[in-house]
Order: sequence, then C-alpha cells, then structure tokens
Amino acid sequence: MDIGLIAQQTVNGLMLGLIYSLVAVGFTLFFGVLDVIKFSHGDMLTWGVFTAFSVYLGLTLIGLAAPVLILVIVALVAMAAIGFLGAAIAKVLIIPLKGAPPLNTLLITLMLGTVLRESIRLFYPDGANPKHFPALLPDWSHSWGHFTLRFDNALMLLTGLLMIVLVQLVIKRTKLGMAIRAVSQDEETARVMGINFNLVVYVTFAIGSALAAFAGVIYVLYYNELSFNMGLLLGAIGFSAAAVGGFGNIYGAIVGGFLFAMLQSIGAAALPFASAYKDVFAFGVVIVLIAVKPTGILGEKETERV
Amino acid sequence: MKLNKRIGLTLGLLLIILAGPAWAKEKVQVAFIGPLTGGVSAIGVGGRNSADLAVRLRNADPKAKYEYELVVLDDECKPNTGVQVATKAAADKKIIAAAAHYCSVVALAGVDVYHKFGLPIVVWGAVHPDITYGNDYKEIHRVNGTMINQNEVAAKFVKELGYKTWVNLYDTTDYGKGMNEYFSKYLTANGGKILGSFGVTADQQDFTAELTQAKKLDPDVIWFGGLTPLGVRIRLQMEKLGLTSQFQSCSGIISDAYVTGTGELAEGTIAFREGEPVEHLPGGKWFMEEYNKAGYSEAPDAFGPFAFVAMNLILDTIEEVGPKRKAVVKRMENIKDYKSIVGAVTFDEHGQNISPAITKYVVQDGQWVPWQDSEYAAGKRQLKRR
Amino acid sequence: MSEPSRTHASLLPSVAAVLAGAVYMVFFLAGESQMVVFGLLVGAVLALAAFKHWRVLDAVGQSARDHQGPFSIVVVAAVAAVCLYFYDDAFVLFLLGTVLVYVLTCLGLNIQFGFVGVMNFAGASFFGVGCYTAAVLTKHTALPHLLIIVLGGLLAALLGFVILIPVLKTRGHYAALVTIAFALLFKTFLEVNDTLGGPQGLKAAGLNLFGWDVGRDIAIGDFEGSFYLGYIAVILLLAILGFIMARRMEDSWIGLNMDAVRLDETVSACFGQSIPRWKITAFTIGNFYCGVAGAFYAMMLGYIAPTNFTFGDSLILLSIVILGGLGSLWGTVVATGIVIIIPEKFQVLQEYRFLLFSALVIAILLFRPQGLLPRPLRGYRTLKSLPGKS
Repeated sequence: MDIGLIAQQTVNGLMLGLIYSLVAVGFTLFFGVLDVIKFSHGDMLTWGVFTAFSVYLGLTLIGLAAPVLILVIVALVAMAAIGFLGAAIAKVLIIPLKGAPPLNTLLITLMLGTVLRESIRLFYPDGANPKHFPALLPDWSHSWGHFTLRFDNALMLLTGLLMIVLVQLVIKRTKLGMAIRAVSQDEETARVMGINFNLVVYVTFAIGSALAAFAGVIYVLYYNELSFNMGLLLGAIGFSAAAVGGFGNIYGAIVGGFLFAMLQSIGAAALPFASAYKDVFAFGVVIVLIAVKPTGILGEKETERV
Repeated sequence: MKLNKRIGLTLGLLLIILAGPAWAKEKVQVAFIGPLTGGVSAIGVGGRNSADLAVRLRNADPKAKYEYELVVLDDECKPNTGVQVATKAAADKKIIAAAAHYCSVVALAGVDVYHKFGLPIVVWGAVHPDITYGNDYKEIHRVNGTMINQNEVAAKFVKELGYKTWVNLYDTTDYGKGMNEYFSKYLTANGGKILGSFGVTADQQDFTAELTQAKKLDPDVIWFGGLTPLGVRIRLQMEKLGLTSQFQSCSGIISDAYVTGTGELAEGTIAFREGEPVEHLPGGKWFMEEYNKAGYSEAPDAFGPFAFVAMNLILDTIEEVGPKRKAVVKRMENIKDYKSIVGAVTFDEHGQNISPAITKYVVQDGQWVPWQDSEYAAGKRQLKRR
Repeated sequence: MSEPSRTHASLLPSVAAVLAGAVYMVFFLAGESQMVVFGLLVGAVLALAAFKHWRVLDAVGQSARDHQGPFSIVVVAAVAAVCLYFYDDAFVLFLLGTVLVYVLTCLGLNIQFGFVGVMNFAGASFFGVGCYTAAVLTKHTALPHLLIIVLGGLLAALLGFVILIPVLKTRGHYAALVTIAFALLFKTFLEVNDTLGGPQGLKAAGLNLFGWDVGRDIAIGDFEGSFYLGYIAVILLLAILGFIMARRMEDSWIGLNMDAVRLDETVSACFGQSIPRWKITAFTIGNFYCGVAGAFYAMMLGYIAPTNFTFGDSLILLSIVILGGLGSLWGTVVATGIVIIIPEKFQVLQEYRFLLFSALVIAILLFRPQGLLPRPLRGYRTLKSLPGKS
C-alpha cells in the first residue's frame, strides 16, 4: 500500500472517529450521572441535523447569503434546540423512571427513538427520502497522489477536537463540572452537599444532546446528506464505542470512537477477504476486547462495596 | 397543515371504506401489499397511492360493474411480516386479487402462501427472477421485469459507450447482491473488466474506506447496485475523495430523491429501468396528471406506475371475468399485449411480463431523462471520460 | 409481606377473568373495521382501570396464585377454545401460532433475564439459529422433524457458548454490549455469507410428524379446519412444556439460587453460590428455548431470511419480557399477545402504525414501570399447607 493511500484512509478514519466520539461522549455523560443508557441518542442527532437543515432553508429563504455566518447560526440553533429537547426528555421520561429497573429506561428511550425517527419520516416534508445538505465551507483541497486533503475536513476535525477539549474543561474545571462529577460518584452524598440533583441531570442531558446535534452538523457537512434513519446505526456504534472505552470516562469514549472507526477502516481496506465482512470484524473485535477488559479500556476497575 | 391534510385524507378514505356509496353495485375487495414503514417506505407509499388511484378512477367510472375496495397491507420489507400479511390477504376469501411486493425476499417468502390459498397476485416492484421463474404457480404474475433483463441491457450499453474498467459496489441485500451477480456476469461476457468489488451493508453511511480503495484501482466507471439512500451517499462521497470516474447504477436509484439528494452531482449519472419510459407514452402523462389531481402528499416514486398498472390489470380482469379468484387466475394465463402506461404487457407461462423494454436513463439538469432524448446522446454533453 | 391470616381465595374470579379474556380475544381478533378495533382497545383500558379501582384485579390475581394448577388448565382450555372458534380462519390461526412461538422464545429470555439477570440483546439471533437449523436440516437430511426442532434448540445453546466468556465476565450495560454486538454481527454475517442462502434467505419445509403432514388442511368427518390448527397444537404443546419447565425451575431451589445471583452477586458468592454456574445454566437454557421456537417457526413460516433476525427484532423480544414484568411468566404470555397482535391490528393505520405502537409502549412503561403483571413475591406455598399456618 502506498503512503498516499494510507494517509487518505487515516483521514477518513479520523473524520469517522470524530463523529463516533462525539456521540459516544453523550452516552458516557448520561451514564455518568444517572447510570442509564439513553438509546434515543442517535435519533437526537438526526433531529439535530433536521433542525439544522430547516434553519438553513429558513435562512436562505430570507436571503442570507454568507455561508459561514449561516453555518454558525445553523449549528448554534441546532445545538440549543436539541439541548433543550434533551433536558425535556430527561425531565419527562428519564427522571420519573429512576426507581424502575434500569432496563426500562433503555426500552423507553428505544421506543422514543422510534417515535422521533418515525415522526421525521411521516411529518417532515418528503421525510422518507434522503436530502441534500449544501457544502457551507469553502471546498479548497490539495492532492498528493492518492491523497486529497480537503480544507473543510481539516477544519471540521479541528473544531470537533476543540469541542471535545471544551467539554472536558467544563467537566474538569468548572463548578458545574464538579457537580456533575459529584453526582456521578455518589448521588446521595451529592444531594447532602446541597447539589440540586435534578438540575445537574437536566444540564448534563442538555450538554450531551447538544453534542449529538454538533456531531450531526459535522456529519452533514462531511457527507452532505441527511435521512430519517441515519441516527440508528450511529447510536448503536456510539454506544459500543462508549462501552469499549469504559462508561463514565470521557477519554474512554473518545478512544472507543476512534478505535471503532479504525476497525471499520481496516476491515474495509486491509482485510484479505471481502470488505462486506468489516462490520462482522469490527463487532467481533469489540466482543473480544470486552472479554479481555470487562469494564472497557479506560474503565475503572469495578469494586463492589458490600 | 400537512398533517391536517393527511388526517383528512385518511379519514376520507375511512369514510369511503366504512360507509360505502348509496347506490348498489356489488362490492369487490382487492389488496395492495408493499413496504409502508422502514427504509424503502417512500417507494411503498408511492406504490400504495398509485394503486389507490387506479381503484379510485375505476370507482369513479360509471361503466364499472363493481364497486372496489382497496385493502392495504404493510409487509415492512420483512419476510415474516410478509408471510403474515400474505396469509391475511390470501386466507380472506373476500379479497379477489392483490398487487403485491416491492422487496424480493418478501415476494419469495409469499409465493407459496398465495399458491396454497389460490390468490392471484401481480408483483409490481420486486425484481428477483425466482419469484416467477422459481416455481410453476399459476397465481403469480409480474408486470415489471427481472434483474436479468435490466443488467443484460446495461452491460451491453455501457460497454458500447467505450468504457473498459469498473469497480462494483453493492449492498448485501438480495437486491444488491443479485444485481451485482447479473451485472458482473453480463459485463464480463461483453468484455468489460471488473477491477474490484465491495459489498456494503444496507444501512452503511460511510463509504470513504471502500471508495479510497476504488480510487487506487482507478476505474473508468464506479457501478453501484442498491437503492437510493446508499446511491446518494456513494455519489457524494466520490466527490469528497476526488474520484472522477463515471457513476453508473441500476433501477434502485431511479427516483426523484436521488436527484434532490445529490444536487448538482447527480448530473450525468446513468441507470436502467424496465418498461418503456413513462414520460413517452401518452398514458404516462395522463397518469401523472391524475395523480397530481388526486392530491397525494407523496410522489408516486419509481415504481408507482407499475403499481398502477398491476392494479389496473387486476381490475380489468375482474371486470371481464367476474370477481372469482379461479376465473382471474385463468384469464391472466393469457394476457397478451395488454395496453398500459408502461407499455404492452404480455405474460409468459410463468406469469412474467416478457415485453418489458429496458429504458436507459441519464440525469440531465436535475431530471431523469431517457437516454435517447438526452443531450448526452445527441453529443451536446459528455459523460465523464478518463 | 406475607399475609398470614388470609383465607384461600376462590377459584371463581380467575376463571371468570380467563373466560372474559377469551371472549374479548374472539371479538378483538374477529374485529375488522377500525372502529371496532379502537373501541375494543379503549374499552379494555377503561375496563382494566375500573377493575383496578374496585380491586377486582387483586381478587383475580390472588385467586390465580392460589390455584395455579387449575388456573393454568383453564387458560390452556381457553386458548384452545379460541383457536377452535377460528378453525377455518387461516390468518387468525397463523397469528395465534406466531404468538405462541414468541411466548416460548420470551419464556427463554425471561429465564435469562428475569431469573438470573443476564441481559440478552441477541434473542432474535438465537431464534435465527433455530430457524436456519430447521431450514438446512429439513432440506438436506431425512431426520425426523421433531428431532430437528430439538436440534435447533441445541445448536442455539451451543452457539451461545461462543459469547459465554464475555457474558460471564461483564456486568450491566457492558454485558448488554456483548449481546448487542453479537446481534449486529450475526445478521451481517448471514447476509454476507452465501452458503446459508445469503440475504435472499432459505425455504424451509413444512412440519411433518410421523408421516402426518401438518401443512395440510384438517378434515375429520364433517369438520374441516385450517392446517394451522395442526401447527397450533404442536406449538401449544411446546409452549406448555416450556412454561411448566420454567415454572418448576422457578419454584425449586434452582430458582431460589438464581434469584440470589440476580439480586446480589457478591452476597450469593459469599454464601457459596457459583455465579458462573447459574449464569451459564440460565443462558444456555434460555437460548435452547429460543432455538426450539425458531426451528418450529421456520417450519410454520416456510421461508426465512436474515432481515428477520436483526437487532430490532431482538429488542422486540426483550420489550415483551420487560412489558410483561421481569421474571413473570404469565406476564410474558400477556405481553406477547399485546406486542404481536396489536401492530397487526394497527395495519389499518398503514404507515403510522409503528409510531403509535412505540408511543403505546412508552405509555405502558410510564404508568406501569414494573410491567403489566409484575412477578409476585415468592409465595412459599408449601408452607401454607402446614398445620397452623393459615
């Protein structure tokens, strides 16, 4: 394999890994505060993308022409809207189920995912068909042999990494982050210390969901295409990535995301047999990894308090 | 507003079905079966609307001998649900015939059931050869062509355009895999060279890994066997990676959604479909006008005309021989040169329409245009050459 | 929590409830128009709410618990009666047969998840193993079909061993990941791999028991019934066997140990329980159930393809278990009926039915988080019969 090809596959993998990581971070945040898996997360991303698309259509309708300005507005509105939706879901569906078996939350969010997905398909104009999202970033690119580096890819990669760093800083350095970490460690104690538990949960769900919307915006800028069921597989992969990395650990989610993207790229590009087996390969490796590291690569060792 | 309209429409349908008209014609039930939920629901809903249109037009016709009721069933594109709804339609003696199935697996799963209960069906979209040729059931008919016809023509045509090398991508569903099998077979027979082929899953989003490999192989043409959503993604991602090969695909991506989904990049995409170009036949224009007049909120999509023809064929047969399954089966054994909006329909001994001409399409200015009418054929525009 | 001074409840309320349920089912299954279906659904919800308000439901539950044996017989008789009522309506019978297949499958999942707490998100995959076993073996061998059904179960159990190590080592959501990954992998593998029919699937031969072709219509004297009656007889028998086995297991020391493992692994390990032993037992038995049900289903359906065994299908199975109530066997039976029959009755809604169905499940979970029929606390019925106890 020549260098250009390897470089190209690496960039492909990085972009994919970034999107997976952003989704996985959401899973890990929710798991941290409430020990729940929110399976509608992938469909939240879809809603983020469709919000972004609608805002874009609205802005072009009122005659705004500066693509970068449009992009900024689109991204901010989508993140705010989905963040709000995430907090609302936490209030209506997730906190009331806190006492029930944890699987109920999983099932209820799964069904919610179906509701979100089907709503787009049925009620968004022509929602059952894929749509075209325009390239809002300049399409400068440079080629070296088989390797084409596009300016927009590089910019997205950079912004995405910045976003992850930002979230990390919020969690590690701010008072809010401290509250989130306190709740993740021990809810009871956190309450005793005067932390408003419900508020922390809402904020966490808002952050996680806004991240999904952000991932969605990156996704449509990268692929220029949106459809009602795009979130389904992304959700499953984001969940796998978060688990492989170790739930509750942001670094773990990032590692998991990039690892999964790498496995898929290797599966498609370098496996000696048919590329169609790449998902079999990726999920097979995930199973083996989890067998070796039952709490994820960066997961804390589970010690039972008796 | 849209929602209200839909509810109104649905309620209207309900009222018609429930109350029925005051005048007394004998009521006859016919069924439509297709995927109304899931990934290919756009085509299923389009087909449903078209079949519904056929029934509505017939009911509005004062010369019609019977009053028709359309029973609509969702097969979800899954064989188990397919067998379930097939049993539902077939075991219900009130239902005389059905226009059924877009998904080949579902049709394959259903044919035994239809045969067992003796329900005549006309397939309106599924393309697998075995649906008609894999059995001797008199109840099974098909108005659209099989994937064999389509690929035979496609392979010959693109080779004549002067292309030499291909990279094939296909989804690993029965449709994509079958397409790949037959296209590869006929392409190699015509002297084309396949440099590599990649199977992808039907819900895959990222194709950059496969396309990067394809780019290295540097083919004249990237061929894709599968449906619209993946076709859109592959075309867009080819551009991202700077692949300048010609993009060729199959009937699965001939839809308005492909063009809107890919925007300007759709230009010059070539694909093939059974049947004469609907736009060419006088009936085609009439169909679109009636469809728009009826006010459906979704487009008829690629296979709507076939669903319309399938349903019309059923209604015509019932008008002719009466609402009895056996009589309908018997009559359909020798359908010959039946005039329809997709051209003349003639069934062979397996119930397969043998006259489907294959139409070559190319996207020109955001429209699927029959090749012979396009500026590409006239030499005013050029497909991608290397 | 015990109710020491309670007298034995009468059998009457539960029998009445079953009869009412059977009559309701007949109307619901026969109902064709939207109005009737919706009327019956709304009516059922209102009636249940009213009965709950007047404590009728408690009386029914108590009566059923105090007379397990007779109650079960009445239920089976009622199911048989409903099937016979629809003796020539092939579609309704097919639907009821499907319900029974899913009952058997979900009983298996309930043993895994409700008894021991092993989450299995790949139920449809193990079900699929059974299906494929049946399709391949009926085609290429002359083995008796009953044996093939058992083999389907055995192969499913065997394949379960592949992911046994990660399942044993992980807990909670990590364990969920293992089976989710397996489910996704399994379906893709079936599609890519051509030796098992690939995406196009396989034809499966109909069931043939000792020379009796079950796929033929039944004619005894003047009585002419659909061939599905034969299938229903077989699957009803299988489901009853499965139910009895699960119930026996639950009531025995095995069930007690399994409960201990589920409730607190550390404590039960301290008391000398082998955690892996019970997890392996439950996981294997559960997969066996899935495989048996799958093998039968393939024969009844006649055609199988990978799209039947997706992750989404596994989720439907799991939602049945949760909706019914974890570890609650009767709950599973009721929930299966709801989850299989209602979407079918929603066919009239055409493309809107999934939306409504999902919303319905959300509503049930919000208002009844413990499931429709939560598993009751262990009754220790044997103690009650001791002198001086009640």
